Amino acid sequence: MAVIGLAGMGTAARTVLPDEADAYTNFCGHTYTTGNCPHPTGLPRVNRQGLPLRAGDGHPVDDLGRPIDAAGYPVDHHGRMLREPDGEPLAPAPRSKVCPAAGEAHGLKLQTEGSWYRCCGGRVRRLMDCCGYTSVRINGDAALTGYCYAGRNVFCVQYYETMAPC
Amino acid sequence: MLSGLAVCAALTAVIAGVTGAWSPCGFSMVETIGTALGDERRAATLAASATFALGAMLGGVLTFGGLAVLGHLVSHRTAGLREALGASLALAAAIADWRGVKIAPQIRRQVPERWRWTTPLPLACGLYGILLGLAFTTFVLAFAVWALAGISFATGDPLLGVLVGVAFGLGRALPVLLMAPGFNHGGDGARRLDGMAGEPRMWLGLRRLDALGLSLCAVFLSGASASAAVLANATDPSAGGGQLAWQRVNGPGQLRQRSGRMIALPGSLPALGGSRIAWQGGGAITIADPISLATVATFPAAGVTALAVSDGWVVYRAQAPGGRESLIGVSLLGAATTRPIATAKSAGEIGRPELDGAEVVFAESGPRRSAIELVDLATGARRPLRVATRNAALLNPSLLGGRLLYERVDRCVQQLRIGSPTGSRGERVLLSLPSTVALDPGYQPGYEHHYNSASLCPNRGAGRGAATRLGPSALSATAAYVTVIHSNSSHARVISLSR
Repeated sequence: MAVIGLAGMGTAARTVLPDEADAYTNFCGHTYTTGNCPHPTGLPRVNRQGLPLRAGDGHPVDDLGRPIDAAGYPVDHHGRMLREPDGEPLAPAPRSKVCPAAGEAHGLKLQTEGSWYRCCGGRVRRLMDCCGYTSVRINGDAALTGYCYAGRNVFCVQYYETMAPC
Repeated sequence: MLSGLAVCAALTAVIAGVTGAWSPCGFSMVETIGTALGDERRAATLAASATFALGAMLGGVLTFGGLAVLGHLVSHRTAGLREALGASLALAAAIADWRGVKIAPQIRRQVPERWRWTTPLPLACGLYGILLGLAFTTFVLAFAVWALAGISFATGDPLLGVLVGVAFGLGRALPVLLMAPGFNHGGDGARRLDGMAGEPRMWLGLRRLDALGLSLCAVFLSGASASAAVLANATDPSAGGGQLAWQRVNGPGQLRQRSGRMIALPGSLPALGGSRIAWQGGGAITIADPISLATVATFPAAGVTALAVSDGWVVYRAQAPGGRESLIGVSLLGAATTRPIATAKSAGEIGRPELDGAEVVFAESGPRRSAIELVDLATGARRPLRVATRNAALLNPSLLGGRLLYERVDRCVQQLRIGSPTGSRGERVLLSLPSTVALDPGYQPGYEHHYNSASLCPNRGAGRGAATRLGPSALSATAAYVTVIHSNSSHARVISLSR
């Protein structure tokens, strides 16, 4: 009976729960179809503060998409500070939180609100809704409530890769 | 401020437009507007002349402005080739027009005559104007028309295209405006038209004027296309008095005098400005005459990493042992007044200074803000000229004669821009390169992708970025200079661009 019960649960789970490769849109963990928040390098990966990270390796990047060190200076793939031909370090550039920056680009006041967590690639991934008082999402069609509060709707989405294994 | 090429092309376009008066449509327009109505309806004639002129200019803008926009959309990597081809076309057309070669290929079509009878005259004339302004819908009376189309495309400068279009339309309208209103009012419009019809040498004379204009355009275009590697292994350009100085990578400063003579300077980080040249070496800054290199002044300065000079001031960036950098101004007039301009905790935050008289411009960059700052050394007043708090870096400014040259870099594109110091309205992009950063496609492979275009760039795709980035710049009266640096090495060259 237990075996039959487990098999039944598995079937039910397969029916109800999304399969990684089929049900997620744009990146693992993202259900529904709201588009990515604009991000310097593409996929909307951010750190805990909402600042942009390169999706492939989690390296911090500035608003120009350049990998940077802790002080904000551009670095090469070995982590060495990049320099001008005259030896001066390359100038740092602004680094902005992805969600409010998306709002500024679209004339909205946006903030990160509710989240959901899913297992992606052996790590727990936090899917973060970028919310505001808007009836239109970045796709150009009607915005959904998602995990936003107090009448706000999801304008675009971003994610944070936790260190928790799954 | 219009470039020499734009002015030259516009003047040529006016003349090319006037040559169109010798076409069947050109004669028909004067007759249609001037004789179809009696003297008592002179107001309608004037209205028809006005709509014809406006239509002709609109048509010109559509053709020449459209071609320029098309050229603008084509990859900037081919700009040099396009300008070279444009120069060749202008030269070939100039020769043909000078020699009065028969126009070929010819467009043997005319505007629809029925409009004259089926629509109100001002409307019909407006439509006729558009067709004639479009330049290639009816007979073409000068090779200059073809050449101007090529020049508009080659430059990829929409402002130039619009200017050429307006000028061409004006040229097409001028004969009508001059002759039609006086045609039936005791004026001499009819006599002038007869004179035109009987004197084709006037047309040939105008084609020769076009030839001269096109030759000048070819010269300007050749100058623009000579923006290949002007100076190899070079960075930190500085221009003044028809001379150019730069820092040779891992070598001494260099000076190219107006005569073309190249000189290795006895120091590094050379700067030109006013009637002075400056360099640093041996713990001191030397100010000299750029022709004789005779020393005018010298003063000690340690840790100098950048330099700018004018007749009245020297500005240098100095680095302290801990990495802290300062920008300091020193007056060269009378008592050597020292004026602190800016300080930063780390190197790289204060960009290379450039001086224009007593005004110094420099970039100030950090994780929260990127700005082009101007400080008036005479008063100490400071004001930001351009500021970005998100999504862009503003770098490497130069200031000369009320024009600001600087670079704007975002995740998609690197642009060298020139405009007024007071605002970005009317700014022009002199050079545009794709950004150097690697971009992912905005979705993970294996997953559905629905809407993910927010992070995409219109000018480039995913993957590795451009191999070159823009570096320090300089501005002279006729050209802009910019350092182009290979992303993963210290290879750098200075190129020049027509302003």
